[in-house]
Amino acid sequence: MKLNRLLAGSALALAVGLPGLAAAKVEPSLELVQPLADYKIYISEKLQKLVDDTTAFTAAIEAGELDKAKALYAPTRASYEAVEPVAELFGDLDAAIDARADDFEKREKDPNFTGFHRLEYGLWEKDSTKGLAPVADKLLADVTELQGRVVDLPLPPEKVVGGAADLMNEVAASKISGEEDRYSHSDLWDFQANVDGAEKIFELVEPLVAKDDPAFVQRVSANFKTVDDTLAKYRAGQGFELYDKLSESDRTVLSAAVNTLAEDLATLRGKLGLN
Amino acid sequence: MPRDDSSTSKPFLATDRRRLLLGLGAAAGGTLAGSLCPAQAARAGTTSEAEHVADAPLGTARLQQRQPFHGPHQAGIVTPRPAAGLVAAFDVVVQSPADLERLFRALTVRIAFLTQGGRTPQLDPKLPPADSGILGPEIEPDNLTITVGLGAALFENRPWLRPFKPKHLQRMAGFPNDALDPELCHGDLSIQFCANTPDSNIHALRDLLKNLSDQLVLRWLQDGSVPVVAPAADGEKQSARNLLGFRDGTANPDSGDPATMARVVWVGEANDEPAWARGGSYQVVRIIRMLVESWDRTPLGEQQRIFGRKKVSGAPLDGRTEADVPDYAADPDGRVTPLDSHIRRANPRTPEAREHLILRRPFNYANGVTKSRQLEQGLLFVCYQADLEKGFLTVQGRLDGEPLEEYVKPIGGGYFYALPGVPRPGDYLGRPLVEALAARPSTPS
Repeated sequence: MKLNRLLAGSALALAVGLPGLAAAKVEPSLELVQPLADYKIYISEKLQKLVDDTTAFTAAIEAGELDKAKALYAPTRASYEAVEPVAELFGDLDAAIDARADDFEKREKDPNFTGFHRLEYGLWEKDSTKGLAPVADKLLADVTELQGRVVDLPLPPEKVVGGAADLMNEVAASKISGEEDRYSHSDLWDFQANVDGAEKIFELVEPLVAKDDPAFVQRVSANFKTVDDTLAKYRAGQGFELYDKLSESDRTVLSAAVNTLAEDLATLRGKLGLN
Repeated sequence: MPRDDSSTSKPFLATDRRRLLLGLGAAAGGTLAGSLCPAQAARAGTTSEAEHVADAPLGTARLQQRQPFHGPHQAGIVTPRPAAGLVAAFDVVVQSPADLERLFRALTVRIAFLTQGGRTPQLDPKLPPADSGILGPEIEPDNLTITVGLGAALFENRPWLRPFKPKHLQRMAGFPNDALDPELCHGDLSIQFCANTPDSNIHALRDLLKNLSDQLVLRWLQDGSVPVVAPAADGEKQSARNLLGFRDGTANPDSGDPATMARVVWVGEANDEPAWARGGSYQVVRIIRMLVESWDRTPLGEQQRIFGRKKVSGAPLDGRTEADVPDYAADPDGRVTPLDSHIRRANPRTPEAREHLILRRPFNYANGVTKSRQLEQGLLFVCYQADLEKGFLTVQGRLDGEPLEEYVKPIGGGYFYALPGVPRPGDYLGRPLVEALAARPSTPS
């Protein structure tokens, strides 16, 4: 069953998901074993929280509690965004959970448009929970499925370490513009979650890089601080202000820091000798 | 690689040999070969001499053409305009004079390399490559110039820079016929790329974005081209045409005459400008959409009256050749050349008009389709002048209300101050401004 599901996934998932292949491709150095184990715990915790939060979020939708559902949307997504590179190893699930309307030719009207953003569209654009129950059911099933698949997933070190740059590329390509959460404008939650996910990966391997390239570590840490400090200006309540509150000058500062983090973190794999 | 049996090993050899002849080495991948279709092979007779769909275009012997980087002025202003241009505007992360110096020095290093050419660093394959690789491992200069300008926003948003703003530098304000798109306007910094091929401009842009990611954030860009025009039968050089089909640049001041350029283009001691700005020039960039479908439905006579020139030859309406100078004194009522025609408004040829000359350096652009399913085409207008008020602002003011407005719509651009040149190796772009900042009386940072 598990194997069938894997085969149904993306080619990428296939390539890295089969233990034999993964083992043949990578030989993690001993010093990476502990960081990888720690990362596995991190994503397990995030995915457990994702399933718990999605359960509450979708229950609110099914109960027709519009305000509660809206309030739970952004914090629920955050756990997904933090581990997105791992989730993206399963292309089918990532599309079902997190695709945006413009991934479909028919946009919002496309029957294959499901997941978080389909619910976001209903909750904000239609201002209603009407008709969303089946989509909510499917989202909960999909995140639960994701959690199950990741349990058995051998984590290729180059995918984990490369995930830090992937997350920053993700921010640079879609979060900085406010197009990800276009109906709810809660992009800054996703932004912070992506950054947290990248920062976690960096922290885990930082001691391994620090001895050879302290200037690199210093620069990356400084840019993470710039991003965190700038986002902190927009904290409100448990989360963040709406995206349109972000000033143009702060957007410029964030863009530069994010692009530079993406450039720097893209070298992390190579610095650790990973292919 | 899927390949038809009738085009086997020989095309590989031919392609490889041509590449060697071009000095490109193994720049292009083997994927280029094997794309010869059977019909072509048959027509070519011998496959070894055949050309292939995906071969790199020939006729690029000018890849080695090089513009000097060092000089009193930046290249790309009075430099003859090559076929490909691109202007990009950026917002910058600059919070202190030290940040500004770091930006200028980094730009200098990259521009010096990109415009002069050379080999790109080859890194450990475990790392992302240092260069995009789109020109291969060896960068040919390809006549590339990179020209850096500063926007009013750079000065105005930073109190410590404000006192150093060139006197006339200002945020571009919309003229009556403009429909400015905020996403296509202004910026802290402009970079104009010009080269024989558009790929060199794209390569240079990507190089700067990668290497200066901590300070440069792209705001908007527009690329364009200049049609290549063969000289006339008598050997006379002819001006290129814009996308309305008219010659553009005919009455430009002589960019080959240093005295004229010193008066028209370069800021010098005669201009009331900060000392650091000497050797620089005001740069105007305007993205001007042309309603080409409507224009193509306009009678030729009306098109010529709107411009004030004959479409085929480029001659003024009272002249025979493009080089002829119109005699407005003999036509005071505009019976031959209408008073509101584009060229007569832009340059009335009076002694006073001499004060308002600008050096135009535009490119044509074609961007695709509008929401109304019309062609999105126009002019990437670029001009340089020593005095923005006397130059572009006065000329554009005279053009306000001209009949041509029915067919053109400026939608973007900005005003920038092109920095003085880098006089010698070891020096860097913008040093006079950095030193002026260091010498300022109070030092808030």
